[in-house]
Amino acid sequence: MLLDVIQCVESGRFVIIQDSVQCCGRQLLQSFMCAALKREEVVHVLAFDVAEEDLRVPSDSGCAQRLCFHDGYTDPLGWNDSPPLTVLQFSPGEIHALLSRSEHPKPVTLVIDSLSWVLRHHPPAVVCQCLQELRRGGAVRSIVALLHSDLHQQGIVGSLCHLATAIVTVAPALRGHHTVAKTTRRTRSGRVTQEEECFIIKEDLTVTVQKQTHHPGQRDTEQEEPQADPAAHLTFNLRLSEAEKEAKDKLSLPFVFSQEKKSALLQPRPGAGQIIYEPDANDDFDQEDPDDDLDV
Amino acid sequence: MAAPLRSGIGVGSRQDTRAVHGTSFQKKSRGKLVSIPGTRPSVQNGQLLVSTGVTSLDYVIGGGLAVGTLLLIEEDKYDSYSRMLLKYFLAEGVVCGHSLFLGSARDPPEEILQELPAPVLDDIGCAAGDEGQAKLCDSEGEDSMKIAWRYQNFPKVQTALAASSRFGHYYDVSKTMDPEMRQASKCNTFFLPDELPLKSEAEPSTMNAGYRALLRSIQNLIHREGFDTAAPQNKSRNILRIGLHSLGSPLWGDDICCKESPSDAVSLTSFLYGFRALLRSSLCVGMVTVPSHLIQNRAIMGRVTKLCDTAIALESFRGSERETNPLYKDYHGLLHVRQTPHLNCLVCEVPDTKDLAFKLKRKQFAIEVSYLFVQWTMAPQLNITFQKAKQKGC
Repeated sequence: MLLDVIQCVESGRFVIIQDSVQCCGRQLLQSFMCAALKREEVVHVLAFDVAEEDLRVPSDSGCAQRLCFHDGYTDPLGWNDSPPLTVLQFSPGEIHALLSRSEHPKPVTLVIDSLSWVLRHHPPAVVCQCLQELRRGGAVRSIVALLHSDLHQQGIVGSLCHLATAIVTVAPALRGHHTVAKTTRRTRSGRVTQEEECFIIKEDLTVTVQKQTHHPGQRDTEQEEPQADPAAHLTFNLRLSEAEKEAKDKLSLPFVFSQEKKSALLQPRPGAGQIIYEPDANDDFDQEDPDDDLDV
Repeated sequence: MAAPLRSGIGVGSRQDTRAVHGTSFQKKSRGKLVSIPGTRPSVQNGQLLVSTGVTSLDYVIGGGLAVGTLLLIEEDKYDSYSRMLLKYFLAEGVVCGHSLFLGSARDPPEEILQELPAPVLDDIGCAAGDEGQAKLCDSEGEDSMKIAWRYQNFPKVQTALAASSRFGHYYDVSKTMDPEMRQASKCNTFFLPDELPLKSEAEPSTMNAGYRALLRSIQNLIHREGFDTAAPQNKSRNILRIGLHSLGSPLWGDDICCKESPSDAVSLTSFLYGFRALLRSSLCVGMVTVPSHLIQNRAIMGRVTKLCDTAIALESFRGSERETNPLYKDYHGLLHVRQTPHLNCLVCEVPDTKDLAFKLKRKQFAIEVSYLFVQWTMAPQLNITFQKAKQKGC
């Protein structure tokens, strides 16, 4: 599922990469950036945590044109004159102004490194509202953000993850040099899937999934037992042969009238017997559950 | 065949709550209770009840939601089932002809309204049945029944008196409601990002700006449309159903979900206090969903529960380790009833048992009592057998 999340192209998505001090998620963030650039999307990066050089991805000239860095690392609080980007500029209006400065009119993939820095300087409710506003507006197509989960209280992490459509939590694997990614993905209809995978990131920042360790959210799909034929293995015969079926169809039933008498009787008459049916709780038939009417 | 006439209220058993409206008997005298479509008087305390849209939930909370009260739903972790319950509530309002008000900070209300489930058509609309009758007379071919042909021109079900005299309907979640049906009812919406700019000037108040705007909007609507009981009684009355999605989440500007000691701890509770006061003095019924799993301070959740009348909590198995547990494989989650109200009576209606589990089926949101019996044996070579008995709670 990690590869699906990286390659997902639907708009309005919000991916949070949660990392901790044991395992850094920045390389995974860079691989998200790389994948977006390869899909010919415009990527804007708000870099607060690390300098621009550490976040650069190897890309050709075409990709480099679509990649736009906003340096919030050198002067985040605006102590010097004319800072490139301050953390106080993290609000919907200012970010829209930043995005509109670039010449590409297409919707943008916004990469934020990291949200933890922003949460240090803004109240969490304001950050949540800002992110929701960015998602709703048409300028930003998707948001990928890095969050250092051990820097914040559980409530803040929980509130942000509540807004996200996909959450990837990276942790070191128990053995080996791999990293384990636990992905939770939520669709609009409320369907939630979870998966845990081991992955490595190669030099060119592509992600390969090694193996899937454990599926906590999937149920075992047992093979459906073939429907037992109730008419088999009986000491008497319950089946009908073709001739018998024909004879059964031809049988005239006692109150079957001719067509004219039928249509005469079927004319709508005022005050004819009305069928009044109040569906009762006991009448709840459920096509899925054959044992619904059993009082077990 | 015509249903046998059953006279009204007998001893308090499960069947009698349906007997009240299962009869076509109509009292000649003008009763004290207003006759509004989609409501019925409660057998316990005489309050006017409306359906929540889910008949099994109506049974669990004592027959229905009393007009003037507030239902609190503590959301499940990914807000899938609580959102479904909100949609059932609004869909029931559309079907019964009530007015709707939907307040939301996260998803635009129009999106939620477009996702309302379609009612199961057998119950609705004699009008549709009449058209069907004319059509069926012509096409005798495939629709003709072989043995019961006298009934082939009747629509499948005909309701007794009026389409909306039924209490509680069933909805098919795989289909969405017709836009015409939805537009026939009056829907008012409140979407927080549209209503106020994110940075607004601070007025001294116990509530934050978002809740204040919401409360004012509801108050104006009640007064304008005449839902308050103080309004003159000449015109026909209707019920206003107010649904508020995810109150208390950070998108409303509230930080009780983010911190253990929030700076704005009384904002949500002040809002609920004012809101309940509005509900009590008007013909309205409210349903509020709160993401309680995010609220860090349990004391706040306790206050919120006390300020609402009926409170239930949903705990879904999705994404948790219980999903693969074979004991729980028949259900989608557990339902906890936190509080039921005492409304003008000394004793409140409590469900028989607290072990309730829910399952969202296509045509029904089923809430059942789940019994899990574990048979322990002393001999080590025998396995532990699990015996599960299922009893319908409704």
